[in-house]
Amino acid sequence: MHRRIPRFLQFTGLTVRYGFLFLAAILLICCIAFIYSYRYSRALLIEGAQKDAGLLTRETIARIENDLQPAELLPITLANALESRNITNEDVIQISGALVSRDPVIFGSCLAFEPFTFDKKSYWHAVYLCENGSRLSTRLLGDKDYDYFNMDWYRLPKLLQKPVWTEPYYDKGGGNALMCTYSYPVFSLVNGSKKFTGVITMDISLAAFERMVKAIKVFKTGYGFLVSKQGNIITSPRMVTEKKNILDIARAGRGEQTIRAIRDMLAGKTGFSPMDGLEAQSRPGFLSYAPVASTGWSLGVIMPADELLDDLFQFFRKILWIFAISIAALMVATIMITRNLTRPIIRLVGATKTIGQGDFNAGLPQRRSKDEITQLTDAFSVMQQELRKYIVSLQETTIAREKIESELNVAHHIQMGMLPHVFDAPAGWELYALLDPAKAVGGDLYDFFYLSPDHLCIAIGDVSGKGVPAALFMMVTRTLLRAKAIEGTPISEVMQSINLELSKDNQNQMFVTFFAGIVDLKTGEMEFCNAGHNYPYILGAGGEIRQIDTRGGIPLGIFETGGYISGKFCFAPGETIVLTTDGITEALSASEDFFGEARLRTILTENAHKSPRELADSLISGLKQFSSGAEQADDITILVLRNTMQAMQTMQTMQTMQTMQAMQTMQAMQLVLRNEVGEIDAMVVCLEKIALQWNIPAKARMEIHLVLEELFSNVVLYAFMDEKEHFIVFDFTLLNPNLLQIRMEDDGKPFNLLEQDISDSFDLPVEERKIGGLGIHFIRELTNSISYQRSGDKNIVILTKTF
Amino acid sequence: MELKQEKTDKCSIVSISGRLDTTTYSILEKMLNELIDGQQDKILLECSEMDYVSSSGLRVFLMALKKITQIKGRFIICGLQENIREIFEISGFTKVFEIYNTAGEAIVQF
Repeated sequence: MHRRIPRFLQFTGLTVRYGFLFLAAILLICCIAFIYSYRYSRALLIEGAQKDAGLLTRETIARIENDLQPAELLPITLANALESRNITNEDVIQISGALVSRDPVIFGSCLAFEPFTFDKKSYWHAVYLCENGSRLSTRLLGDKDYDYFNMDWYRLPKLLQKPVWTEPYYDKGGGNALMCTYSYPVFSLVNGSKKFTGVITMDISLAAFERMVKAIKVFKTGYGFLVSKQGNIITSPRMVTEKKNILDIARAGRGEQTIRAIRDMLAGKTGFSPMDGLEAQSRPGFLSYAPVASTGWSLGVIMPADELLDDLFQFFRKILWIFAISIAALMVATIMITRNLTRPIIRLVGATKTIGQGDFNAGLPQRRSKDEITQLTDAFSVMQQELRKYIVSLQETTIAREKIESELNVAHHIQMGMLPHVFDAPAGWELYALLDPAKAVGGDLYDFFYLSPDHLCIAIGDVSGKGVPAALFMMVTRTLLRAKAIEGTPISEVMQSINLELSKDNQNQMFVTFFAGIVDLKTGEMEFCNAGHNYPYILGAGGEIRQIDTRGGIPLGIFETGGYISGKFCFAPGETIVLTTDGITEALSASEDFFGEARLRTILTENAHKSPRELADSLISGLKQFSSGAEQADDITILVLRNTMQAMQTMQTMQTMQTMQAMQTMQAMQLVLRNEVGEIDAMVVCLEKIALQWNIPAKARMEIHLVLEELFSNVVLYAFMDEKEHFIVFDFTLLNPNLLQIRMEDDGKPFNLLEQDISDSFDLPVEERKIGGLGIHFIRELTNSISYQRSGDKNIVILTKTF
Repeated sequence: MELKQEKTDKCSIVSISGRLDTTTYSILEKMLNELIDGQQDKILLECSEMDYVSSSGLRVFLMALKKITQIKGRFIICGLQENIREIFEISGFTKVFEIYNTAGEAIVQF
C-alpha cells in the first residue's frame, strides 16, 4: 500500500495527500479532454478553410477563364475563315482591331505571315494592332532586329500545328507591359493539302488578372497568385522575392512539403496542402490550388496557419483560464472537505497520545454522526475502558509478583548464604567452589566443612527439578549432611542416614544426586560415597585427566533402603579433584548443542596449571562463551580441591600402599552398617553390586554372603553391651582378580573368633550339640585366611576369599 | 522369605522359599514350635525354593530336630539346592539330618 504513494507524499497529512492526488487525477482527465477537443476543432477549422479556399480558387479561375474566352474564340473563327478564303487578310485586321479596341483584356493582336506569303517581295510581314491610348495603332513588325520567325509565339504553333499560350513575357517593343500571347496557326489549302501560312495572335495584358488575383484576400495576410505552366509567376501581390519561378522560390524556401505541394500544383492538380511556408521568411500555412484549364496556368491561395487558427487559439486561451481557475477552486474545496473529514481523526490522535502517555481518563471527541470515524472512536472508547481495568489489575498483579520476587530474592540470599564462601584451606591444600543458579533459587548445592582439623568434608549435589521446591530440598539435604557427618562416622553411613531422612514422607518424589567425601588432610586419603552423582574428575599437575568410577548407590530420597557403598581415593601430590553438576555438560549453545564432556575435559586440561579459583572461572567463562547468550537452563556448580603437598605424610606400610592403589582403581569398596539385624538387607544389596562389579560367581557370592552375615550378626547380637548405635565397617579390596579381602571393624567388646573352640561339638549326637559356634565354623570353613587384631577399642578382622 | 504350611494324612509339610537368615529365622522357628507343641511329630521341610541359609536358620533346624526327637517323632529335610547342601556338609548337618532329594522320596519315609 505504502509503496504506491509517491515518496514525497508519504509523510504528509491525509488532507494534502488526497488533495494532491485528486487534483492530479482531474488535471490528467481535463488535459486529455482539452487536447482532444483542440485537435478536433483544429481539424474542423482546417476542413472549413479548405472548402472556402477551394471555392475562392474556383470562382477566381472561372472569372479568368471568362476573360480569356474572347481571346481564344476569335482567332479560331478568323483562321477558319481565312482557310476557307471567306475573308481577306484585311478583314482579319479589321475584325481583330475591333476586338482589341473593345476588349479591355486584349491588348493587341497580330497577323503574322510566312516569308513571301503575303507579298512575294517581303520576307517579313506581320501586322500588329494595339491600343495606344484611346486609339488603335497599326504597325508592321519584322526586320533584322525583330525576326519573329524565331519567337515562341510564332515558332511554337507552327511547330506544334496547334494553338499555344506563351509564357508571360514583358513586351518592350509592343505594349510595354507583362503579357501573354495566344497564337493560333493559320493554314491554307494548297493543292488539297493544308499548308501553314502564318499565325493570328492575341496579346493578353496580365494587368487585368493582377487585379483579380490581388482581390483574393484570406484572413489578414492570405493571398492568391497565378503561375504559368512552367511555374513562372504571372501575378502575385505579396511575394517579395526577385525570383520569377514559383518552383525556384519553393526550393529556396523551407522544405520538402512546400516543394511537393508546388509540384502538384504545376502538374495541373487541384488540392489543399499544408506547407512550411512558401518563402524562407514566410510563416507555415496552407496552399489551396487549382489549374486554369485553357492556359495551363495554376491559381494558388496561401493561408497562414496562425491566422487560420487564431480564433481557435483565442478560444482555447480563454478555456485554459477558466480551467485554471476551476482547478484552484477545486483545490480549495478538496482541502476543506478532507480537512473536515480528518479533523475528528486528528482529535482522536491527540486523545490517543494522551492515553499513550498514561492518562486513561483522556476525553475522546464526541460525534453526532454515525460514520466510520464515530465507530472508530467508540471502539477506542471501549479499548480505553478495558485498558483502564487492565492496568488496575496489572498493578495489583505486579505488586503481588514483586512481593513474591522479593521473597524469592531473600530465599536466594538465604540459600546462597548457607553455602560456605570462605575458601580457607589448610597448608598443602587449595579449595574453591562456586554455584551459578539458573533461576533465583536453584537445586544445586556444594558444601565443605571441617569434621576435625584434619578432616575436611566436601560435597556436591543436584536436586531433581528447579525453583523453590528444589531449593528447599537442597537446603534440607545440606542441613542433614552437616548434622550427620560427624568425625568417625563413615561416609557411606552418613549417606545412608541422609537418605533415610529424605526418603521418609517424600511425597513429591524428589531426589538428589549427591557426592560426599571426607578427606584426611594429612594423608591425602579421601573416603567418598556417590549417590547417583556424576563422577569426579581427577586432574594431574600436568593436565592429565581421568574420571573415577564411584558407583555407590542410587540418588538420595528414592528408597529408604539405599545400601550405599563408599570408596577410597588418595590424592597424589599436585592432584586436583573437580566436582561438577550436569549443568555444565548439559549447557546448550544458541544452536542447541550440548557443551559436553569433551569440552569440559579440554578446558580442565588446558587450565590445569591455574589455581582452583582461576580454573573454575576459566570453566565458567568457557561455558559463557559457548552458550553465547543462550539462556542458562540449569544451575552450574563446581567444587575444586587440590593437594599441593610435595609428598604424603603417611603411606608407610605396603598394605596401605596396596589398599590405596586398589582404591584408586576402584578396586576397593566400603560398606558401613549399623548394629541392627535389619541392616542385613542393605548388606545383601551392596553385596550384589560388589559381586557384579568384580564378577564374583554365584557360589562364592553366597559363601561371602554367609560369611558376612555370620560376622555381622555375631557382632550385632553379642558385641555391644549398651543400647547405643554403633557402626560396623566392612572394607572390600580386590587384591587380585579372584582374591577378595574383607576387613571388618567394630567397636564392640573384644572378640577373637580364632580363639573360639568349636571343633569338638561336630561329632556329638544331636542332643549334645551346641547351637552356637556354627557361624564361626562357617567363617573358618568358607574363607582362605583369617586374621584378628584388637586395635584400641576396635576389633579388626581381616579375611581373604578366592573365587 | 516365604513359608507355606500344608498338612497331609502322613505328615505336616513346611515349604521355605527365599532367604532364611538372621532376619527371618524367627518366623520359621515360631511356626515349627507351634507345630511340635501341637503334637505334630512328623514334619517334612521342603527346601527346593530356599536360596540361602545362614547359621541362624540352621540353628532353627537343629532346634526342631531336638524337640521332635524328644517326642519320638521324625524331622526330614528334602530338596536342598546344591549350594545349600554344601553348607550342610560343611556344618556336618548331613550326618545329623535325614535328607532326601525330593519330596516324593521323603514322604514315603513316614
